Amino acid sequence: MKNRKLVFIVIAIALLVLPTLLAAAQDQTVVRISWWGSQNRHDRTIATIELYEELNPDIDIVYEFQGWGDHWTKLSTQAAGGELPDIMQHDYARIEEWVANGLLMPLDGYIESGVIDTMNIADSSLAGGMVDGQMYGINLGNNSEVFTLDTDAFAAAGLELPPLDWTWTQFEEIANQIQAALGIHGIGVLTSDQLWKSQYMGCCDQWAYAPDGMSLGYEDDQPLIDYYNRLLRLQESGGMQSYEDSVARGDQGVEAQLIVSQEAAMAYHWSNQIVAVWNASGPERNFVMYPIPRPEGGQSQNYIKPSMFFAVTSQADQPDEAAAFIDWFVNSVEANEILEAERGVPVSSVVRDALLPNLGAAQAEMFNYLGLIEMDNSPIRPADPAAHADVVGNIFGPEFVEPVMYGMISPEEAAPYLREEANRILAAQ
Amino acid sequence: MAAVDPAARPLVVRPPTPWHQHAVVRSIMYHGLVAAAALIMLYPILWLVGSSFKPPDEIWTNQTAILPIEPYPQNYPNGWAGFGGISFATFYRNSLFYATLGTLLSVSASAVVAYGFARVRFRGRRLWFAIMLLTLMLPTQVQIIPQYIVFKQLGWLNTFYPLLLPRIGGSAFFIFMIIQFIRSIPVDLDEAAMIDGANKIGIFLRVILPQLTPAIITAAIFSFYWTWDEFLVPLIYLNSPELYLVSLALRTFSDPSGQTDWGAIFAMSALSLLPVFVIFISFQRYLVEGISTTGLKG
Amino acid sequence: MAATLTKAKRRKSANFGQDNLVGYLFIGPWLAAFFLFTLIPITVSLVLSFTDYNVLSNSGDFIGLDNFQRMFFEDRRYARSVNATLKYVVFAVPLRLVFALGVAMLLNTWRRGVGVYRAAFYAPSIVGGSIAVAVMWREIFGNDGLVNFTLNLLGIEGPNWLGRPETAIWTLIILAAWQFGSPMLIFLAGLKNIPRHLYESAEIDGANAFQRFLRITLPMLTPIIFFNLIMQLISGFMVFTQAFIVTQGKPLDTTLFYALYVYRRAFELNEMGYASAMAWVMLMVIALLTALVFRSSSYWVHYESDGGPA
Repeated sequence: MKNRKLVFIVIAIALLVLPTLLAAAQDQTVVRISWWGSQNRHDRTIATIELYEELNPDIDIVYEFQGWGDHWTKLSTQAAGGELPDIMQHDYARIEEWVANGLLMPLDGYIESGVIDTMNIADSSLAGGMVDGQMYGINLGNNSEVFTLDTDAFAAAGLELPPLDWTWTQFEEIANQIQAALGIHGIGVLTSDQLWKSQYMGCCDQWAYAPDGMSLGYEDDQPLIDYYNRLLRLQESGGMQSYEDSVARGDQGVEAQLIVSQEAAMAYHWSNQIVAVWNASGPERNFVMYPIPRPEGGQSQNYIKPSMFFAVTSQADQPDEAAAFIDWFVNSVEANEILEAERGVPVSSVVRDALLPNLGAAQAEMFNYLGLIEMDNSPIRPADPAAHADVVGNIFGPEFVEPVMYGMISPEEAAPYLREEANRILAAQ
Repeated sequence: MAAVDPAARPLVVRPPTPWHQHAVVRSIMYHGLVAAAALIMLYPILWLVGSSFKPPDEIWTNQTAILPIEPYPQNYPNGWAGFGGISFATFYRNSLFYATLGTLLSVSASAVVAYGFARVRFRGRRLWFAIMLLTLMLPTQVQIIPQYIVFKQLGWLNTFYPLLLPRIGGSAFFIFMIIQFIRSIPVDLDEAAMIDGANKIGIFLRVILPQLTPAIITAAIFSFYWTWDEFLVPLIYLNSPELYLVSLALRTFSDPSGQTDWGAIFAMSALSLLPVFVIFISFQRYLVEGISTTGLKG
Repeated sequence: MAATLTKAKRRKSANFGQDNLVGYLFIGPWLAAFFLFTLIPITVSLVLSFTDYNVLSNSGDFIGLDNFQRMFFEDRRYARSVNATLKYVVFAVPLRLVFALGVAMLLNTWRRGVGVYRAAFYAPSIVGGSIAVAVMWREIFGNDGLVNFTLNLLGIEGPNWLGRPETAIWTLIILAAWQFGSPMLIFLAGLKNIPRHLYESAEIDGANAFQRFLRITLPMLTPIIFFNLIMQLISGFMVFTQAFIVTQGKPLDTTLFYALYVYRRAFELNEMGYASAMAWVMLMVIALLTALVFRSSSYWVHYESDGGPA
């Protein structure tokens, strides 16, 4: 009996102690916010929130944070329970699905009334957060795809750096030359769905998805077939890491890229990841950032993509205070000095200029690179359709990329199947 | 294989043994074999602990080695610092609270319920037992959302109640396990106690419970580890970082598309094994003692 | 010897007059928790399996048996997930049980240092599912990892374990065999519960170690073997974490375990209706198999006392 008594006592104590742990401040306005990220982002974001609370003593910002995958598991459960926070960090690939389900609040009213000040933000930076002509997500940092080149490896291989408007043909040659000269790969696998989407930008001024998101945006499979035949050649020659090896290595984050461990001389990633790549490689290494190669005679495949958004949910209790916080988060120099462009290049030109003098080498390279992409002035791409995750997760990956890269089916056979199945899913949304 | 045999000490006079059955030779063979196997089993832990001392730029460049080229203990304070001033001290306090209380609840309740199923005959027993087993076969993933809504109605979000209170019924795994142990205890003792005038509760406490020590210790070891390691349910219900558990905090370190301090992750992952290990080491002693206490009584 | 066993085999039931009040008193805690916390979610998930409920829209329509038709006849990945799971269950469950029982017997001794060995053998089972552990398993099965290094020493060139569709599932099976700690501990506890006097009298009868194992250890252990078999079967079908953290279902869906696919449909694509339907199909399959094992138990499981629930 002793044991059970003890148990009851422990429970009784727990019941008494827990609620006091949870008691929040009473007379402040509570704004809930939730984001995903790593330790670095958590630290910086929390410090920024603390500064905001200092400046606005009547506001209590209650925060939750988690890893990327857990973020969506948790937030979709909260959505079903009507428990979403006021502000949530959102993603380009998912925002349309959330808007379609009425879970986010349009922010146009706050922009018109000036609560969210967009005076210093370029339209191209804001456009990614628009769905059906309304603004749902405020961009927290500009991003673009990048090919990072290890200049020391190029020198060791006796290669000149290519021109900035290099082509896929040139890229293939370089990758093979690196493999021949150094015995390492030119680059890791290039099978990301992102490169599928932008393939049609370079050649044909199209996008993988139709503007209304109800079908694919292309009908000619040939550019995709050509691209995957190129990848198969590169996989064969070792110019590119084999798909098999990339599966064995797994998706272990930016720091595990081959360029970090000098197993490849180039890397494909998002521009804001250069900081992580450089940190993990060590300060003595030298990198330059290049745009995606373009098709022969084609145009750039790069565009500006919001790295992530802050969105106000339709279940928010304090949407006004939430909007005010987002405004400060994006426009305040003080806040961004703490955040240090960890989410990508700040969208406000004032903030950008204020940060410029104090940037580290990797960040300076990133700011420069985005300036370059912005000058290219490529068209703004719409957010992914609601069924994007379904198309990529259930068709593009398992029915196209994997069988093709394992040589079980040719790109010529797989590409039409991809198009038909993707169209079927998109039409059924 | 003498290992099978807890009664190896000679009770009867035997003929002289050939050399390979000699105690010393057999002991050497035993230790050689088992120690070699143990080393292979320990390799993952050794690698994890070794890697936790690698500086961040060595984790991906010097991956196969167990030992770091340049030891970097700084990973530990870096990881321990946690997030925005909420350190691992908080997460450990929460996890220890949850795992200890959760284990106490679920193991003690399981023993009680198991006794009911194993030693009492009542109407509906088979049906309830079958239903209990069925609850083990439905993945948590499809129950989470309705359960979330139930706990929301009860006003228990962002507390430990949704994690702890369902344990008042024990866990189906442990209940079934303890049933099996009770059923291998002969009923003679029950009957003797009954003749002495004990009722079912008395039999449970004085006859059955003492014999269940190995089973209960085993259940406690598992329960502590499983609770310590649990993340899906805590993720859903615990919102304030002040309530996060070690398991949640570990998953909150990394971002596949951003900067990740792998050294800190490895350090905290290695450290998080320590409580589970300590519990195991300190409890497994009672598994050994089980021989002398319960074994002889049987 | 013979006398002990007959005595042990004799089933007694005098002790078990019907006693509803006491019975419900003892299982009361479980019943309370079941009705309060489990019944509603389970029922809801059953209802959802006949709908196209989406988590984000928080709504769904009744679609009859469409979910089931979709999974059996239209969803190619579903078939692959069934395939991967069955393969895993068929190999991993027996391997794990054999390892667990073998090692438990090896460690069921009074020798010095056995506590350390026990800890060592249990260690791989408690590393958990953190991201560092995922990196660790990948490293161990990597091209120059521990497994291939060992094979190399034996003159065998190891495959690209995680990268090849033929071998990836085997890494998860090997991993499962490696993590035999929990059934091992249960076996150990079971071995401790075998009354010592049985061995003593057998020894007096002149039985050697192997005979003692066959005649005492094995029969006395059958309730525990039965328990471990059922539980490993259930957890084998529900295997999730290893694939979730190490392989993510790749390559070519050869490691896309059923529960992982359920999770993806439920939380990555928010198709909770479809996911619930899949979960209930699995429940029925496991329940059927479990019932079969229970049926068989009267032929091979030996209890000291009658009157268990099954």
